[in-house]
Amino acid sequence: MTAFPAVLLPLPVAIPLVVCAAMLATAHLLPGRVPDILATLAALGVAILSAFIAAHAADGPLVYWFGGWEPRDGVHLGIGFSVDEASGWVAAFIGLLYALTFVFAWGFFGRTHGHFQILMLLFLAAMVGFCFTRDMFNLFVWFEVMSVAAFALTAYHLEESALSGAINFTVINSLAGFLMLGGIGLIYAQTGTLDFEGIAAAVARGGRDPVVAGAFCLVAAALMIKGAIVPFQFWLADAHAVAPSPVSVIFSGSMVSLGLFGLAKVSAVVFAGSDQVQHGLPVLLTALGSFTALLGGWMALLQRHLKRMLAFSTISHAGIMLTGIGALSADGTGGMLVYVVGHGLVKGALFMVAGILLATRASIDEIALRGLGLGIGPAGIAMAIAGLLLCGLPIGVLDQGTRGVQGALAQQGHGIALAAGAIGAALTGAAVLRAAGRIFLGLGPDSGDEAGAPSEDEREKANRPLWLMLAPCCALLVLDVGLPAHLIEHALPRAASAFMHRPAVDTVAEGPGWLPWMSVLAALAGAAYGLLRDRLPAFVVRSVGATQSAPTRALEALHSGLIGDYAAWLAVGVAIIVAMLALA
Amino acid sequence: MSPRARVALLALAALILLPGAASVIAGLPPFGATIARYGERINAITPEARHVANMVSAINFDLRGLDTLGEEFMLLAAITGTVILLRGRRGEGKTGRAMRRPGRAVIPRSEAVVLACRIAGPLTALFGLYVVLHATVTPGGGFQGGVILASGTLLIYLGEGYVGWRDAVRSPWLDALEGGGALLFALCGLAPMLTGAAFMQNVLPLGTFRDPFSGGLMLVENLGVAMAVAGGFTQLFLEFMEETREADEPDEPGEESA
Repeated sequence: MTAFPAVLLPLPVAIPLVVCAAMLATAHLLPGRVPDILATLAALGVAILSAFIAAHAADGPLVYWFGGWEPRDGVHLGIGFSVDEASGWVAAFIGLLYALTFVFAWGFFGRTHGHFQILMLLFLAAMVGFCFTRDMFNLFVWFEVMSVAAFALTAYHLEESALSGAINFTVINSLAGFLMLGGIGLIYAQTGTLDFEGIAAAVARGGRDPVVAGAFCLVAAALMIKGAIVPFQFWLADAHAVAPSPVSVIFSGSMVSLGLFGLAKVSAVVFAGSDQVQHGLPVLLTALGSFTALLGGWMALLQRHLKRMLAFSTISHAGIMLTGIGALSADGTGGMLVYVVGHGLVKGALFMVAGILLATRASIDEIALRGLGLGIGPAGIAMAIAGLLLCGLPIGVLDQGTRGVQGALAQQGHGIALAAGAIGAALTGAAVLRAAGRIFLGLGPDSGDEAGAPSEDEREKANRPLWLMLAPCCALLVLDVGLPAHLIEHALPRAASAFMHRPAVDTVAEGPGWLPWMSVLAALAGAAYGLLRDRLPAFVVRSVGATQSAPTRALEALHSGLIGDYAAWLAVGVAIIVAMLALA
Repeated sequence: MSPRARVALLALAALILLPGAASVIAGLPPFGATIARYGERINAITPEARHVANMVSAINFDLRGLDTLGEEFMLLAAITGTVILLRGRRGEGKTGRAMRRPGRAVIPRSEAVVLACRIAGPLTALFGLYVVLHATVTPGGGFQGGVILASGTLLIYLGEGYVGWRDAVRSPWLDALEGGGALLFALCGLAPMLTGAAFMQNVLPLGTFRDPFSGGLMLVENLGVAMAVAGGFTQLFLEFMEETREADEPDEPGEESA
């Protein structure tokens, strides 16, 4: 059979499944905190196993055939897992994020007989399976398990806004499931196999084929819906804003970026042989990514509902990741993979701060919270640091990812995407820093304007000690800042090439060193403007008063919360992909 | 957006999507023309390699067993999620016994209905078991059999009334059945690994072709799926039925909006 570490490949998926099934079977017998402990340990186990697998995958991808159905005579009979170094580390990161989230959610969901932990563990297993698989239909299965677990977790609060957010999420992501299944059907009809390598070989032989292009179009649209790329992004803000904070941590920290991770894998491996797809991709991905980065950042700046602001910030960063994939190089994809981890760490920490505010101050409205953060200073420091990291402070994992993406974009001459990414990051950073200044320092005008305030009394269970919620939040930030840069630098070129199934490159290009600083400066200026607007001369404020302008209002009106609108935009998005592929 | 704007937007998208779809459909292999190479290959080797007459079972539980495992847990996620959403409204404490149906008198059942249900109930359960056990030789299997078993428990409700049903069918047992079935399926994957085989590799004796006891591990997996499906679906019936009822005493304060 296979070599030793490869034997472990099924375990990171199987362990959470076994634990959650056992937890359900004994739901009524488990006392108090046992589900919390079991879930945390299971997630830690997944993280450690995945890290071990990733370390061993450095020499070459590990392959595992389920049921012992190894390929015979070139036909891939069973389902395979194939883990390269990058996929392994992403899975390890996801396991760690879950473990810290379980600590953050300690005692959050009492009296539910572990149902929350059961759904979260399923969610975790699905994500790891999604990272590891090399089979199109298996990819779809994990994609759907992820969705189904996420739908219920979103609606957990059972308030009207939570239910409507969850329904938008359910409908749009179910459409994504249909699209993906349709795409897989097309590619199976044409190539007669479901294995990544098998399809790649058949696609490379086939030449220009409308069926292959159609299949890619449907699969890519589905993954972009998960990845919240404009114009598929509408569901995200509705869902992330209403989900319980620990769930939002997972949504923004890993679910959204996993959609893009899947897109990167599918376009680099499965459709690598289709000239039509490869020619169409750079323009399509950098254009959509730039637009997404700008729109998400701008919308984030307009929000006063903290979780909604963070949700739009996630959209913006998803756009930046997409431009990284659009560079179609080992640099860009490698940078994007590092960005996934860095963004997950920082955004997870930010959603935890939002959760702390919900639990201790019973509000999520930036204006209503003005000055209320004074008693919980450490949370404010965490929020400020996270805000600075988010807009590009040049230290830590997120910055390393940013430089990788920017380097690839600069090298390929995607100047507009480069600028859009920097501006998008600055806008989201400005929004977070402005909120931090207002809440924890009491800065900014006290407008008393209640229009647009969150309508329902939102709060989360407050009986957890502050340190218990702060510890995982700080752990995420420490990980982002403290992870030795040379480790990543050393492994990245090799890992990115293995991820894309390409011959290894020596070094990874890095973007201009001044660009992250520009983003930070712009973010600080934006935050300062938001907070100190009333002390500036009137003519300055009037000319910059863009938040009241017609385009802004139109943009807000587009995020109407109506599923019909969202579905219409979804059709437009698919049409855009079709048009780009037809022109390529 | 106004409905008109929405339709205009859709029409605009359709202008591009329809020609695209037409070209894809034109490029597809003709309808019914060939069996894909993969399918042909599986058809050729499975009866001999696994002694199984029902090819669908062989694909679902052996060749592509991991997909079925994922789908089994997808079902578990859907049912757990539904239970959370339905139960959250009522408060978690009231799951043990039947609640009241306000505003309508309970009409006693006619003896004919009771008798019919008492006869049909066990027969339905028996048929469900039959479908489960013949998974490898006839169309059917754990999922279908599990659904039939679950509908058998509904006949208790028809015959004995709601309170009788709730006395006979306990929510924790259903959780145990559902979780236990899923656990059994997952362990069918892990256990072969202890012997050095691959995850979900068939290590049991394969039995005789066209015999109910063929296919080895597939039978155990089907049993797990049947347990999980029967438990899960009955749980769903129960939770939806409780939705139409209300508690005798005023609502206890539910979980604090979390």
